[in-house]
Amino acid sequence: MKKPLLWLLIMLLTVSMIATFSLAGCKKAEEAAAPAEEEVAEEEVAEEEAAVEKPFEGVEVNILTFTGPQIAEPLQRRAPDFQALTGAKVNVVIVPFSDLYMKILTDMATGTNSYDAFVFAPQWMGDYIIPGYLEDLTDRVAVDEALEWGDIAPFFRDFSSTYEGRIWTIPLDGDFHMLYYRTDLLEEEGLNPPETWDDYLNIAKIFNGKDLNDDGIPDYGSAISKKRGAQAYWFIYDIAASFIQSQGTGQGTFFNTETFEPLVNNEAFAAALEVYKETTKHGPPDELILDVGDTRGLFTSGRTALSLDWGDIGTLAIDPEISVVQDKVGAAILPGSTKVLDWDTGKLVDVDESTAPYAVNGVNHAPFAAFGGWSGGINIAADPKVKDAAYAFLSYMNQPAQSNVDVTIGKTGFNPYRISQFENTELWVEAGMSEIAAKNYLGAIKDSLESPNMVLDMRIPQNARYQQTVLDTAIAQFLAGELTIEQTMEQIYNGWEEITEELGREAQLESYLGGLGVEK
Amino acid sequence: MKKPFRRKSIFSPSPAAMVLSYLVLGIWAFVVLFPLYWYVVTSIKLPIQVIEGPFYIPFVDFQPSLHAWRYIFTDLRNDTLRPYFNTVVISLISSILALLIGMAAAYGLLRFNYRPRLVAILMFIGCIVLVIVAISFGMPWKLALIAGIVLFIILLQTIGRRFKRSLGNNDIAFWMISTRILPPVVIVIPMYILFQRVGLLDTKTALIITYLAVSLPIVVWLMRDYFSSIPIELEESATVDGASRYRIFLSIVLPLSAPGLVATFLLILVFNWNEYLLALFLTSSRAQTLPLTVAAQNATRGPQWWYMSVLILIMIIPVIAMAIVLERYIARGLLVGAIKE
Amino acid sequence: MMKVKRQTQGSAQTGSGLEAIPSLNKRMHSLVMRQDRLAGNVFLLPAVLVILSLAIFPLIISLYLSFSSFRFVKGGFALKFVGLANYKKLLIGSAKTRFLGVLANPSIFGWLVFIIIAALLVISLVLYIRRGQLSAGGLFYRGLAAIVIGLGAWLLVRTLGPDGRPGTLIITLIYVFIGIFFQYLLGLGMAMLTTQALPGRRFFRTVFFLPLMITPVGIAYLFRMLTDTTKGPFAVIWQMVGLSGFSWANNPWGARVAVMLGDIWQWTPFMFIVLLAALESQSIEPFEAAMVDGANKWQIFRYITLPQILPVSATIILIRMIEAFKIVDIPNVLTNGGPGTASESLALQSYMYWRALDLGGSASVSYMLLITVTLAGLCYFNLIHRAVKEKE
Repeated sequence: MKKPLLWLLIMLLTVSMIATFSLAGCKKAEEAAAPAEEEVAEEEVAEEEAAVEKPFEGVEVNILTFTGPQIAEPLQRRAPDFQALTGAKVNVVIVPFSDLYMKILTDMATGTNSYDAFVFAPQWMGDYIIPGYLEDLTDRVAVDEALEWGDIAPFFRDFSSTYEGRIWTIPLDGDFHMLYYRTDLLEEEGLNPPETWDDYLNIAKIFNGKDLNDDGIPDYGSAISKKRGAQAYWFIYDIAASFIQSQGTGQGTFFNTETFEPLVNNEAFAAALEVYKETTKHGPPDELILDVGDTRGLFTSGRTALSLDWGDIGTLAIDPEISVVQDKVGAAILPGSTKVLDWDTGKLVDVDESTAPYAVNGVNHAPFAAFGGWSGGINIAADPKVKDAAYAFLSYMNQPAQSNVDVTIGKTGFNPYRISQFENTELWVEAGMSEIAAKNYLGAIKDSLESPNMVLDMRIPQNARYQQTVLDTAIAQFLAGELTIEQTMEQIYNGWEEITEELGREAQLESYLGGLGVEK
Repeated sequence: MKKPFRRKSIFSPSPAAMVLSYLVLGIWAFVVLFPLYWYVVTSIKLPIQVIEGPFYIPFVDFQPSLHAWRYIFTDLRNDTLRPYFNTVVISLISSILALLIGMAAAYGLLRFNYRPRLVAILMFIGCIVLVIVAISFGMPWKLALIAGIVLFIILLQTIGRRFKRSLGNNDIAFWMISTRILPPVVIVIPMYILFQRVGLLDTKTALIITYLAVSLPIVVWLMRDYFSSIPIELEESATVDGASRYRIFLSIVLPLSAPGLVATFLLILVFNWNEYLLALFLTSSRAQTLPLTVAAQNATRGPQWWYMSVLILIMIIPVIAMAIVLERYIARGLLVGAIKE
Repeated sequence: MMKVKRQTQGSAQTGSGLEAIPSLNKRMHSLVMRQDRLAGNVFLLPAVLVILSLAIFPLIISLYLSFSSFRFVKGGFALKFVGLANYKKLLIGSAKTRFLGVLANPSIFGWLVFIIIAALLVISLVLYIRRGQLSAGGLFYRGLAAIVIGLGAWLLVRTLGPDGRPGTLIITLIYVFIGIFFQYLLGLGMAMLTTQALPGRRFFRTVFFLPLMITPVGIAYLFRMLTDTTKGPFAVIWQMVGLSGFSWANNPWGARVAVMLGDIWQWTPFMFIVLLAALESQSIEPFEAAMVDGANKWQIFRYITLPQILPVSATIILIRMIEAFKIVDIPNVLTNGGPGTASESLALQSYMYWRALDLGGSASVSYMLLITVTLAGLCYFNLIHRAVKEKE
């Protein structure tokens, strides 16, 4: 009776040993292949640069980011090139996206420091800078000419990468929300892309229920992600910000800059909630469990006329493996509002030169740079030489020679953020967009990036508690019909105030102003 | 003997019962297999085919493509094979260890009478708290640990002798299973800190130890029941013949409880194979396991269903193979005849 | 530290019905006793040490976390001691509607249910007292169970009525009890069917084990795919039935049912395999005797099979109950706790707080979970489990 069990154990051990050896062999084979490639690359580079001594020979940099291919793929792809140039070995470590924030934080907060650099969302900056975990990059950027810092769009250069006046991250990706629409459908009906949220709703109403992709099944007018715990807490601010912020990025959208009172219990937010709920009527019935991946899918499969998203729909739509609406995609700056909030009274007032100096055609636009745009930061506790190498790598990735190519490839997840990137349509056409589509897409990006009223995402410490625990839950309950508009606003207001009291109002206000680049 | 024939006659269902059984079994088999079929089909679909709507049959509804398989195996080669290897090693070792240690404990709890003194336990916990506080104030952990042990022994010999109230086997068993009550999310950071202090982060050892501790309660509880179904007379007669406890355990109890052993092994193997949260935090690059790569397919773009399907399918293949091989041991017949000896 | 006594005449502490061995003489007895003490420790200590060393540290740290508030400060982070503030928030503060729910007046039906449950509790307590075999432990646990069940029922009835909205506590209880109910029935049913001498039963056995082999995150995404009524496999059926304008995701009970379906699909194999092994380990003699006596299938099940698998059933239900309270992956991926907070479980609430760096809040929810499960587990263990074991 013992024998079968014994045999089983032996078998299992043998199997695992065989697996070990075969995999070890596999690894060796790959390592044998890689040096061969490197030698070729090195030879070429060496020929051009004539035996330059590699500055970071023998240095190893561990960069943490989330599983790709977005963001991770270009880092992994260019790491060998960088190594050929400088001798530094870059290891890209990946973890699931939803856990990246905690991974970075625990690594630094517990002093483990197994990562030297990170590619993360600038929104998390507050949590990493205040405790002093990130390296200040201001001085390095100042002397880095190859970086062409001036070419980077003002928003990303002056706001997104900075905190309290210092530079902390190198932008690699320009992420913000835009409006996407089906050019063919709007043309048919002789409509212009929506400029205000009312326009948006009207257009959505027209197309909802029609068959938009010739498959016989009725489709939708608008598709916005409303899933809880996904991105809904950003999309609500796409709408709300255009009512609340009108005096430029430095004004902020979330809190009153003097009292740190949440700006959520006023007519502007109420109007935004109404619009947000209204869009559900003209969209898919299960919008409450659709996250942004689903709504993108709806757009690229031709099932919705309008959608809101980061830059991804534009680049995804070109790919025939993913999209059936190639060349039918239009992009535009987020719709705005003809009324804005008077911060003192809490009431909506009409747009004019004093209330909304940056309004276009009487409409106040506030493109929302939700989440921030993936950027690279460096762990302050890393070895000095490693930090230099890490900075060099991030700079390398950011430099126009590399960056301008990467932003045209949809797979990279890098969206344009340099001024030079949206002036040149060639690369986009090469990637598969038609000339018209490329101009349209880049034009939308340009409009948004050049808007002085772009909205910074919340970057105060523990913003996740404000946005995810309170805002997201309240919005979810509102959309589910469990709360009225007033109740929702009150719940968010009270929830935010509670957190502020707990964490210290003065400290939070200081961080908020620091994040906005405002001198106090 | 004629036992097999007998058995067949007892458990052979009538034709009507057979039809009904097959019907019910068939329905549940469909319920189980259809989602897996969906995984298979999704793994050979292009993204547009997943997004556009349900396509059911390859070549009929849609043109299959191996792009997902190619991506996982060639583009991501090492990033797939290394976690695969880690998963196999970690879960096998931890499950085998858990089985060995756990079944011994289960047998102990069943046949012996333990009376741990309450005051000893409380003092033990108290000493551990002191050790933790000391470490958090900067004392090196080895020193704190030794100091804690010494303190405990001293206290035990002095104060401990005065109180006699003790707990029993059932309390020990309940305590063991109660360690599984807390959701993993709460223990993740403390475990991270624990392993960081001893320098075992991102190693397979850390995960093996953790999984061992986490699966032991289940092994103990399940094996207790399986062992208790073995008639005590067998053990008694062996004792009369002069066999030692260990001998009885190894040559009588274990073989007779083979079905239970196999079932328990498969269960904890599967648990350890699929564990996600602890693996996420205790590893970074070298010791990553497969569930992490599966979860990672939820990118900012939304879940990449096609890659996920491939990963899931390759994840379950070894477990299925093991289940097929081990399933025969969960069969009746091993107990037959033993009692009559 | 641990005294190990060999089982002697009459002291059947572990309930396995051990009888004395009268034939041992004194010398051998003491030798065996010493050996046994050592053997006892050898058997048990490794497990105890392993579990102890890894269980206590997290428990204590998370307990401390639940009494503190996490904050970033210049130079690192700080844990400020706030006493019971986190717990107060859950029970009477801002998180009350999320945790306990919105309490409203029960409907008539609700009142009825509550009165019946309360009556049953009181009656069983009275019966127990009147039986005369009182023991401190028995009374204590019965009283505890009565209080726990009573409170639970009161909460249930008030939040599930009209105008009421259940919080994560009640939702988790619903998941646990309905889930276990179906998982046990299905698992037992399938196990019994596959112990029959059906050709091809090995195929079924292996197939039924499959759902458990998939990592929970994978299963969550699987059900996300399956329950998608626009591009999932059942979309066609959904549309045919005319429900294309309606989504289960907008309905609180729709969302809960979706989560429970996934949970049942995933965990039935657990019951199945353990019960299968138990059924297969049964000795064959009672069956043969019963057949000889002319018993029918139902009688065999009721009087032979059922008593034999009752101990294993009790164990497996306890184990599964403890695991079920921790349900997190499926509600997380499928609905993220939505619509609103309708499908959010306790562990999910804890996880969401944790992700938002509210470590104190996360730990306090987990500890409320711990308290609930420990109370429920203790009552279950001391009342039902023991009773079942003693019947052996």
